[in-house]
Amino acid sequence: MTTVAAPTRRRGLFATLGDIYHERTNFDFIGRSRIWLGFSSLMVAISIGALLLVGLNLGIDFEGGTQWEFSVASGNPSSTQVREALKDTPARNARILTLSNGGVRVQSSELKTADRELVTQALSNYSKVDASAISIVSVGPTWGEQVSQKALIALLFFFILISVYLTFRFEWKMALASIIAVVHDIFITIGVYALTGFEVTPATVVAILTILGFSLYDTVVVFDKIKENQSTLGREKGDSYSSMVNRSMNQVLMRSLNTSFIALLPVISLLVVGSGILGAVTLRDFSLALFVGLLVGAYSSIFVATPILVILKEREPRFRALRDRSGPSVSAVAVESVVLDEENVMPAATPNPNDQIVTPRARQSRRGKRR
Amino acid sequence: MAASSPQRMRAYLVVIFLVVAVSFGAVIATDKKPILGLDLQGGISVVLAPVGDVRSESLDVAVEIIRSRVDSLGVAEPEISRQGDNIVVDLPGVKDRDKAIRLVGRTAELRFRPVLASVPPLSSTPTTTVAGSSPPLDESVIAAAVASCDSDQISAALTAGEIPTTKTSNDKRDNCVVLPSREQKFSRLLLGPAALTGKSVDSAKSQFSQGQGYAVTVKFNDAGATKFDALAAESYPKSPPQNEVAIVLDGKIQSAPAFQTDSFSGDVQITGDFSPSEASDLATIINYGALPVQLKRLTVQNVSPTLGQDQLDAGIAAGIIGLLLVSLYMLAFYRLLGLVVIAGISLSFVFIYALVAYLGSSIGLTLTLAGVTGLIVSVGVTVDSYVVYFERLKDEVRSGRTIRSAVDVGFTRSFKTVVAADLVSLIGAAVLYFLAVGSVRGFAFFLGLSTVLDLVVAYFFMHPAVSLMARHPRLVAMRKVGIASGLDVVEVKS
Repeated sequence: MTTVAAPTRRRGLFATLGDIYHERTNFDFIGRSRIWLGFSSLMVAISIGALLLVGLNLGIDFEGGTQWEFSVASGNPSSTQVREALKDTPARNARILTLSNGGVRVQSSELKTADRELVTQALSNYSKVDASAISIVSVGPTWGEQVSQKALIALLFFFILISVYLTFRFEWKMALASIIAVVHDIFITIGVYALTGFEVTPATVVAILTILGFSLYDTVVVFDKIKENQSTLGREKGDSYSSMVNRSMNQVLMRSLNTSFIALLPVISLLVVGSGILGAVTLRDFSLALFVGLLVGAYSSIFVATPILVILKEREPRFRALRDRSGPSVSAVAVESVVLDEENVMPAATPNPNDQIVTPRARQSRRGKRR
Repeated sequence: MAASSPQRMRAYLVVIFLVVAVSFGAVIATDKKPILGLDLQGGISVVLAPVGDVRSESLDVAVEIIRSRVDSLGVAEPEISRQGDNIVVDLPGVKDRDKAIRLVGRTAELRFRPVLASVPPLSSTPTTTVAGSSPPLDESVIAAAVASCDSDQISAALTAGEIPTTKTSNDKRDNCVVLPSREQKFSRLLLGPAALTGKSVDSAKSQFSQGQGYAVTVKFNDAGATKFDALAAESYPKSPPQNEVAIVLDGKIQSAPAFQTDSFSGDVQITGDFSPSEASDLATIINYGALPVQLKRLTVQNVSPTLGQDQLDAGIAAGIIGLLLVSLYMLAFYRLLGLVVIAGISLSFVFIYALVAYLGSSIGLTLTLAGVTGLIVSVGVTVDSYVVYFERLKDEVRSGRTIRSAVDVGFTRSFKTVVAADLVSLIGAAVLYFLAVGSVRGFAFFLGLSTVLDLVVAYFFMHPAVSLMARHPRLVAMRKVGIASGLDVVEVKS
């Protein structure tokens, strides 16, 4: 039994990957959009909840304070030893973190220059490294306010400009769907920071702003394909907007997977190298947010932006008519229930015959249709 | 001629290789290197913000004053700039960082002090204690004697030994001080307590007056005029140098004109052998005292050189590993076409290096850690364009085109997608660059730069290279590694 079952299972996975590579897939993305949208809504709700209940671990750049960073000349530092070294200084209540490679990070409330020098001297004595080899950052309480305020203004302008551009390049419904997906990405990334308690630094802000670009890049690629295929819509009997979108998504699936994976490779490298080397704390802060954001961004362009677009489009009489004419297809039923009754659980009886790959012959017919 | 004739494709390739080679060669030949930001080479960065509402011009003046203060530190490449209402002071590789921070953040007060005596310059050789003679007075004792303004103590101090220049911490309004001249025109002067400050100044401007050359006219407000007249009445009858008034800013005597009368009623003209620029500098300094910008330190960032080096190493290591991973993935996935990706990325990077080195020397662009990460991340964006193109080629070939015709049709179509997607990145980068502060701007600049370059390389390198390769049947049909195999084509039609 086992000898038969094992190869079959393995072949299934490889066959699926192979089908993705050869663009032979016909995953029913839209038909299950209710699941994706429900899942995403849940994630966003959890993120907002975490943000409100747990809050963010804001770094000294936002809270104000003084921070020292150094690595000890030899041996392994322990926070007890560091605290002992600091007991006669104004930083006796500082937060002490030991990092990899003998690195130590000490954070206290903002200190005056003279007090700062005392602490630096104490740390220099303890670590046996010269005072000039200790990095110090001192931030007043208003700086973070300024950074976040400017970032928010930048974000607002970004959304306005992108909406205008996407409306001009595509249409307002696509612009709206993209923006919703991006907002979804930002919320979830921030939620991950709230839940894990990772420190939020200016690098995190930069990373979150970068995610906007990446997430939109993927969405634009998908929407570009949809726009292209939209011209052929309705030529074939039984074709509806949602099935056309589904087809488009299967066509760009390899592209989406590849672009996301390639964008992730340098980020993973940043993350690994950044965690291994003390000096690269900024790199790590940065790549962590990017890593989370890129994953979510890749997901949202397929599972959030596109389903929302379908919902918006199938409200237009023209596409509604197409959908009705094509009969109560799986996807239409699912989409309809999302629109009408979001709280409902999907009926167990909903048939899903299309969620697996089709045979190469079906692809043949598609090829003939497209050209 | 067709839009993608082989001649044109070859011309594109030649053009882009020439441009990159010439710009790289020029940078190497003139020995330009990218300027590293201080988070990569170590140093101090201070962000200052004005308290309350201030006029833009007074901030510009403040930047100038800070620049002259920083110049006195002898920092190699200080960068003092305004970002909105903030003043950002970057001091790479500073040794005495505490002094630098104090110097930069201090609020300046212009003071008018009566001159009490001239003090000989400090001898360059340290005083040696001769055996048997009484040891010289302790410096701090002398300093205290000077500060007290007691004439007996001062004369005792003068005879006892060298009088040190008053330290910044002792340079208080009501103390007596020993200060040097700004431009070494004369030796140090012993000055009395400040008679009036910059708050008494209404305005100051430099003027050319017939027969007297360039002069600075100072107008005092009512309270200032009274105080200045009182000072003049006291000092004018005395003999030089006690008939002079020292104008002091930042612990330096900016000018020490002698009184020509004992009553001014608020209008004062300072003359001397001023050059036009000296006169306008002095006027600016006096005006600056009249419009004091109170600056608040927002952040002080102090990066040790070893940490900076670590960050740079880590950034470069992460970049190289990331590039290697992407290259391997591309080769495995697109076979021969993967080589086009690798060549394209190399081309972009050589060009970016040249640009960054050039911009560093021409407009002082610095490469910060945020910039390096921006570049590493942009690898992803750049390679995305290739993926979009190659996947489009697959589509075209599957729908029945030959590879040779697909490379051109596919490019036209995929380039539209790439432009649409890159524009989104560009808009994002531009918004960030103009609206954000600090490290975010550096990141945005490099992201924007590499996005523009992505479009250029896609148009002038990627398409021509693939197009020309597709004309060689052997490259197309090579088993396992050829273009056809990279595009998932089993049977090659020609």
